[in-house]
Amino acid sequence: METWIEVLVFGLQRGAIFGLVGLGLALVYKATRILNFAQGELGTVPAFTALLVMTGFETVGDKAVDRGMLIPAIVTAIAVGAVLGILLYVVVIRPLGKVSPVTSLVATAGVALLLTTIELNVFEARARRFPRPVNGGFDLPGTDIIVDWHTIVILAVLAGVALALAAFFRSAPGVALLATAEDPFAAELQGVPVERMRAMAWGAAGALGALAGILGAGVFESLTPGLVTSTFMIPAFTGVVLGGITSMVGAVVGGFALGIVSQAAIQIVTTYELDVPGPPQLAVLVVLLAVLLVRPQGLLGKSA
Amino acid sequence: MSDPDVDPTGLIHEEEVWVEEVHAARRSSRLPRLLVLALIAAVVLAIPQVVDVVYINVVSRAAIYGIIAVSMNVLVGYAGQASLGHAAFLGVGAFASGYALTDLGMPFGAALVVAALVGMAAALVLGGVALRVSGLYLALVTIAFGLFAQETLFNIRFLTGGGAGQTAPRPELFSGPVAYAYLCIGVLGLVLLFDWRLTATRAGRAIQALRDDERVAASWGIDVTAHKLMAFIISGGIAGIAGGLFASIEQIVSKEDFGLSLSITFLLMTVVGGAGNRWGVVQGGVLFAVLPTLLDRTHENFHVFPFTELTATWEPAIGAILLLLTLTMFPGGIAQQQGALLSWLGGGPFKRDPDAHTPAQGGGMGARP
Repeated sequence: METWIEVLVFGLQRGAIFGLVGLGLALVYKATRILNFAQGELGTVPAFTALLVMTGFETVGDKAVDRGMLIPAIVTAIAVGAVLGILLYVVVIRPLGKVSPVTSLVATAGVALLLTTIELNVFEARARRFPRPVNGGFDLPGTDIIVDWHTIVILAVLAGVALALAAFFRSAPGVALLATAEDPFAAELQGVPVERMRAMAWGAAGALGALAGILGAGVFESLTPGLVTSTFMIPAFTGVVLGGITSMVGAVVGGFALGIVSQAAIQIVTTYELDVPGPPQLAVLVVLLAVLLVRPQGLLGKSA
Repeated sequence: MSDPDVDPTGLIHEEEVWVEEVHAARRSSRLPRLLVLALIAAVVLAIPQVVDVVYINVVSRAAIYGIIAVSMNVLVGYAGQASLGHAAFLGVGAFASGYALTDLGMPFGAALVVAALVGMAAALVLGGVALRVSGLYLALVTIAFGLFAQETLFNIRFLTGGGAGQTAPRPELFSGPVAYAYLCIGVLGLVLLFDWRLTATRAGRAIQALRDDERVAASWGIDVTAHKLMAFIISGGIAGIAGGLFASIEQIVSKEDFGLSLSITFLLMTVVGGAGNRWGVVQGGVLFAVLPTLLDRTHENFHVFPFTELTATWEPAIGAILLLLTLTMFPGGIAQQQGALLSWLGGGPFKRDPDAHTPAQGGGMGARP
């Protein structure tokens, strides 16, 4: 029983990161009908920026991080994420013009490769120590399980982001964004600055990515080039599809589901001593194929 | 239907004149065209002879990337779908071929057939599920498949040798590196021949109709899902063959060889080459195969600014920038820039088709609304 509670705790921790990445993916998809493959790197690049701030801008050394710089580092990272998101939209996506969703996915995949390569060349292909905002953990009452404070921080941040987004979509600019997503032409006729709304969605996705990058690197307490793309983005993609690709609530629900399923897959393989390598990756593929077979519009989606 | 500006007879007349012009152009330039084609063939065949022996495996790799580009082109260029997990198909083919060669003791040709069949089977399973929905989902499924292949499939010890890698000896007849490079070029030639015949078949044309507009294609009675699936299976099969050849370059493969960034590279080279045009994508493949070596050589030999900073580690970034430039400025890629030449070599006049939507002129990624 206790192992399964542990699966749940770790599943929620990973799932919350998937949810943060997924919210960025769903927001951009909602606003511009683009599946942003670079969303993961909108997390890794700001995380490296935070590391730079905390180490006094040392790119390759092993200098210890200055925890006193934590808050400025996080603020800088979020700003970098937002600016990167807007730049991505203005410099890459908008000049593409009206192209198929597949073509824009290819373009964002190119951007992801570009950013990862820059990280590799600037920071070298190795892991750097990355701090958690809050260290340590606490005993879960009635069990021997120690829950990291970091898990609580991630869940709290996700809850805060979800509340902020819910409030945003009830405000005037939020409604304007929804109108842009629904019918850009009609929105423009109503005086909605469509281009600005779209750029804003990309910027918000970048800020969400930055949060996912910082907290995700904190999960492993280490940061490598391409980290968010390789560890969090594909489950997040699957979570978004599971939740219904344009649904913000679905992205979070799907993220949690994928987090728990991945951790359960690891636990099942360990418990029954199965000779199956890479259980989380197998679980992600199985879930994705199952969703597409059974309910392609996702749990909370309206149409596929 | 009675549009005053369109005189049906006039249209037919113009058509006749145009057809006559093309025929005349073909007749008049047949000899020089054949000479140029022969020259290109001779240069390609001379490459393994003149290249320094240190780089001979790069030639094999370039030919194999050319095959992968043809495979990607069937999917991206003809059917308008994208795969972000093609490295996994290459890997599946490589490990299948290695297993057939080493553990089953099969001859090389049979191992390549096994590699192709395994690639097709993987494509059938993934495409069968994903292609019922929109093309975006196929891309997602291929990404997840790529990760699954790297972490699960390629770690199954008895099939792939786990971390140690799977051995894949070369065939006896082509055991030398130069001979093996010729084998790879030969297979590339055969794959191109197959691709050429494919586009001439009814099914091949139906697949290409999907890229331009799925709904229009459906209204012509084309079974959209079946033809997308067919394109994906053909693509998977060709990628499997490429994997079989790839395994025997170094005669050993391991799971590290087939990462996500390789999959993205395959997509980049297809788009940069000019999705939809077989000559363009093959050039894209060759370019991306030799780019790391090229960067290393220029880094060693030219001690002026860009080259002092650019090492092979920057190769993916250069590829990505080429991709973005291609998508925004030249959606038809290399093929579009060579439009006039490719048109002339194909028997047409020496000029770029202004309405560059046909595959022969490189419709490219931007052609689809």
